[in-house]
Amino acid sequence: MYLQFYINDNGDKVYTTKKESPLGLPTESAHPARFSPDDKYSRQRVLLKKRFGLLPTQQSPLNVEETYEELRTFEVLGIDKRSDISTAACQSVSEILGSSSSTLKDLFYALKVNGILKCDIKEDVFEGVASRLQAAVSGASALLDFYYSVGGLALIKGQTTKDDLYLADAEGVFQSIKALSQSDGRWRYNSNNPESSTLAAGLALEALAGIVSLSSSEIDQSLISTTKNDILKLFDSIEKYDDGAFYFDEKLVGAREHQGALSTTSSVVRGLTAFAAVASGSLNLPSGKILGLAKIFLAIGIPGDAKDLFNQVDSLAFLESNTVSIPLILSLPATVLSLTKKDALKVKVNTVLGSNAPPLTVNLLRVFRSGSKDTLLTESQELKFDPENAVYTLDALPKSVDVGKYTFVFETVLHDSDHKNLYATGGQTRIPIFFTGVIEVDTAEIAVLDSDLGSIETKKKIDLAGDNTVSLSANHLQKLRLSFQLSTPLGHAFKPHQAILKLTHETKVEHIFLMRSSGKQFEIILDFLGMVEKFFYLSGRYNVQLTVGDAVMENSFLKAVGHINLDLPEPPEKAPQPPAQPLDPNLIHGPKAEIAHIFRVPEKLPPKELSLTFLGLTLLPFLGFLLGLLRLGVNLKNFPSSSVPAMFAALFHLGIAAVLLLYVLFWLKLDLFTTLKGLGFLGAFLMFVGHRILSHLASSSSKLKSA
Amino acid sequence: MGRNNFSILTILSITLLPILSLSFSTDSPTDRRLLVLLDDLSLKSSHSIFFNSLKSRGFDLDFKLADDPKLALQRYGQYLYDGLILFSPSIERFGGALDLAAVLDFVDSGHDLIIAADSSSSDLIKSLATECGVDFDEDPSALVIDHKSYAIAETEGEGDHTLIAADDFIESDVLLGKKKIEAPVLFKGIAHSLNAANTLVLKVLSASPLAYSANPSSKLSSPPSLTGSSISLVSVVQARNNARIMITGSLDMFSNRFFRSSVQKAGSPRKYDKSGNEQFVTELSKWVFHVRGHLKAVNLRHNKAGETDEPAMYRIKDDLDFSVEIYEWSGKSWEPYVANDVQVQLYMMSPYVLKTLSNDKKGLYHTSFKVPDVYGVFQFKVEYHRLGYTSLSLSKQIPVRPFRHNEYERFITAAFPYYGASFTMVVGAFLQQTARPESTGIEMSLFLREENC
Repeated sequence: MYLQFYINDNGDKVYTTKKESPLGLPTESAHPARFSPDDKYSRQRVLLKKRFGLLPTQQSPLNVEETYEELRTFEVLGIDKRSDISTAACQSVSEILGSSSSTLKDLFYALKVNGILKCDIKEDVFEGVASRLQAAVSGASALLDFYYSVGGLALIKGQTTKDDLYLADAEGVFQSIKALSQSDGRWRYNSNNPESSTLAAGLALEALAGIVSLSSSEIDQSLISTTKNDILKLFDSIEKYDDGAFYFDEKLVGAREHQGALSTTSSVVRGLTAFAAVASGSLNLPSGKILGLAKIFLAIGIPGDAKDLFNQVDSLAFLESNTVSIPLILSLPATVLSLTKKDALKVKVNTVLGSNAPPLTVNLLRVFRSGSKDTLLTESQELKFDPENAVYTLDALPKSVDVGKYTFVFETVLHDSDHKNLYATGGQTRIPIFFTGVIEVDTAEIAVLDSDLGSIETKKKIDLAGDNTVSLSANHLQKLRLSFQLSTPLGHAFKPHQAILKLTHETKVEHIFLMRSSGKQFEIILDFLGMVEKFFYLSGRYNVQLTVGDAVMENSFLKAVGHINLDLPEPPEKAPQPPAQPLDPNLIHGPKAEIAHIFRVPEKLPPKELSLTFLGLTLLPFLGFLLGLLRLGVNLKNFPSSSVPAMFAALFHLGIAAVLLLYVLFWLKLDLFTTLKGLGFLGAFLMFVGHRILSHLASSSSKLKSA
Repeated sequence: MGRNNFSILTILSITLLPILSLSFSTDSPTDRRLLVLLDDLSLKSSHSIFFNSLKSRGFDLDFKLADDPKLALQRYGQYLYDGLILFSPSIERFGGALDLAAVLDFVDSGHDLIIAADSSSSDLIKSLATECGVDFDEDPSALVIDHKSYAIAETEGEGDHTLIAADDFIESDVLLGKKKIEAPVLFKGIAHSLNAANTLVLKVLSASPLAYSANPSSKLSSPPSLTGSSISLVSVVQARNNARIMITGSLDMFSNRFFRSSVQKAGSPRKYDKSGNEQFVTELSKWVFHVRGHLKAVNLRHNKAGETDEPAMYRIKDDLDFSVEIYEWSGKSWEPYVANDVQVQLYMMSPYVLKTLSNDKKGLYHTSFKVPDVYGVFQFKVEYHRLGYTSLSLSKQIPVRPFRHNEYERFITAAFPYYGASFTMVVGAFLQQTARPESTGIEMSLFLREENC
């Protein structure tokens, strides 16, 4: 029962417990609203919505933005997928353009889709959309509204036959967008929001470019030049990777959604190229930064996300044909070259999407060995151009180039001086190159030496290329020496990164030693006396393995040299224990050996025949007794003659027989309790009949005496 | 008796049910909800093939930054996720309520984990791996280098043989699927070794004998700590509670670039259009998230030979039949598990009988044997630990009694002479007494006569 109230005629609150007021109206609860922070029925509501397909995630109408991004990606990559989706896409484009309630964003992307698909849209639809967008431009205050409406108008201009589509107050709109810019070259999304964004700068530049193209008269040059200044300032905030790639990142804290570096950079690239295309005069941007922007898009590989892929491909397409400067990328088909196979050094110069570069010369300026600063080149070398494959080839490598890691510095020089403003070559390009070759292995030798004298006990040559193995034996007073020589194809000393001698005991305990070199000669001397403890006093067979390898060595090898039988002293009490080795998983997990229980052997009994024979022997006296009894005959003269005592005598004998029979039954199957029970009854019966017969005998004998 | 049995069973099942349903849902052991922790959200796009393949197999993926201040694995004592994917090698400290102990508790409560490290791995990730039984190389700049089985470089800067083409897989259908992985797996990252004291951790992908772990850009000053096949590239752990863990030293192994890249192992003429990474990672993730290799055993039954009811007790030397049904989870349903190495033990302090069960290919395993001639409280034990499969550990207690006094042999042939002697004696005395009472001293009339004397 809850406390209720109603408002009476005087407007007073009257409390009651009834559910109905005297006026017949329902009363209201007087308790404050009971509130629980957990939403008890949320699960049920979500289930219900899911059942009827009302959840936001279940609704998937054709998203024009995504459709545009797909189409644009396919267009740039030259994949013709238009027919697959054109019907559905055109359908929704005409719906969006025809509807008066569609948002500016949808209109903008619908027009973009139409720009690619060339749907059949009537002129008057365009006019309607154009007038809507015109109104939106004049009423807009936020950057995104400007971006979508101006962008939409610019798209309509390209798609209709009507060419008198102009923005009424182009300069005014230009200025209202410009008013959102910040001093560091970034833009705000709207005037209320003080936070500035790099991504917004790209959108703003694109919108401004749209205004310039839509303007009926020339825009004031001072406006254009301040915008150019903004762009230069924006490029001051560019960030850099070590490999010369540049990118923009969003520093906006608390952004509504995460805007990665890729989408930010791509937005700036789009804005920059669009603005540069319409603005007169050059932008004076350093070409290295444009090249750096191209590099970041090329370096990220193929993104897995459709939006990232669109941003990458779209930006590259804009960079491919921009008016600021077209980046030219110098690349090598192979950066690992074999000296033994005499691989030629080839260089390619392309635009970002792989088109051929204008006529130019590639020069090799310098060559460094990694780790040193001295160039191996006396004068710069020009690479020969092969017009058929569009590949530049180096005729001859510098004489002193041996196996190893080198840094080659290339320079691209454009033939046509007009092109210098048009293309960004980035000046010098440093490329690391590996030269590999077959390393010659010589005079390999393994020997056991006597410790104090150093005299050679056993010495064996080994062929590190062949298949032979050696077997040696040594004790702890001796030494093991292994030596070999390595030389490069040019005959220099070669120091591989990996030159390891490995001794493996039978118990899989490993000992690893680095081989040190002096010149070409590699040598290691293992003095077992000093290493007894390190070897954990483990005597026995050790396998000897030599591993020599390097990134530039084509014949890196692992050679099982052989084995050595070591005889080490017995371990003292506190000797260190060898480390445990991991067990073979198959040993742990395999089935166990079966176990069968061994039953106790039954005690030995004489054979059956023997027992039966003795049984017969024990029966013999009984047989003799029976025979004797038969011979003598039955003597019943003492048996009472009168009927009553005779009956008792018979019963008495029967009782005795029954007791004996009970014993037989006890032996055969009865247990003790059943037997005792039966014996009790029979005993009482025997007592009675025995007493009767005895008293009869007593009376008859006393009669006899008295008689 | 039957009713009594039934009620005990009911009580047992009522008390066991909550425990069973807590450990994993018996209907479907496969994980559903996975939490993916990333260093950088761009990983979502650069590793999208792996994530999409998980999504398409029905997993719910929840992506979070590893330093997200709202991170939590459990709420109100209930775990929010069934599995955790740590693709955040460089994280020094997790955000929110998550820390090393919370991740270990998550595993200890039977949940699954994938750890991917790389050369920028933090101490947190390395110590987490150490807790799982593998030790990453302590040198932070060391990478796995292999001058023999490296992948032939396709892009610049990869000539230093740190891109490994590994094909030394563990031989296990349950871990890697029935289809053989033909193409080598691309690996670029850091090495780890297995803790010798830990028998639960397995090397799934090991390096070649030539591999070593070192910094490729500087000369070796001391022998590398990890060399040869003791280097593990990918390891898995199956804990005693059947939680599964996968540990790898290469985050790039899961990336789209490695999934889609063609691979040619140095020195091998064959060039594969696609690396083995996708198949390898997909198959292994199926195992980790309990789509494969999950067993259940039901209906453990035993009875005397020729009977059907389960007795309360056996006598020594009884012949008994034992059977158990084992099923394997196939991702959708429970299929009969067929193997010839399931064993049952009759156990009291140590196994008295250990016998391999034969199966009927429909999941029913059975055998029959004689109860040993030792009495006491025994257990039927099925301890099944196979590489890659969840371990089964069942036991059922059963007392064994000696012969009762009337169960021994009643007539021993060797005693027949004694029987014969005593019975002829009895029969003879009776006959004598009945037929010729006067010829013996025990004759009644004589006794009476003497009394008269």
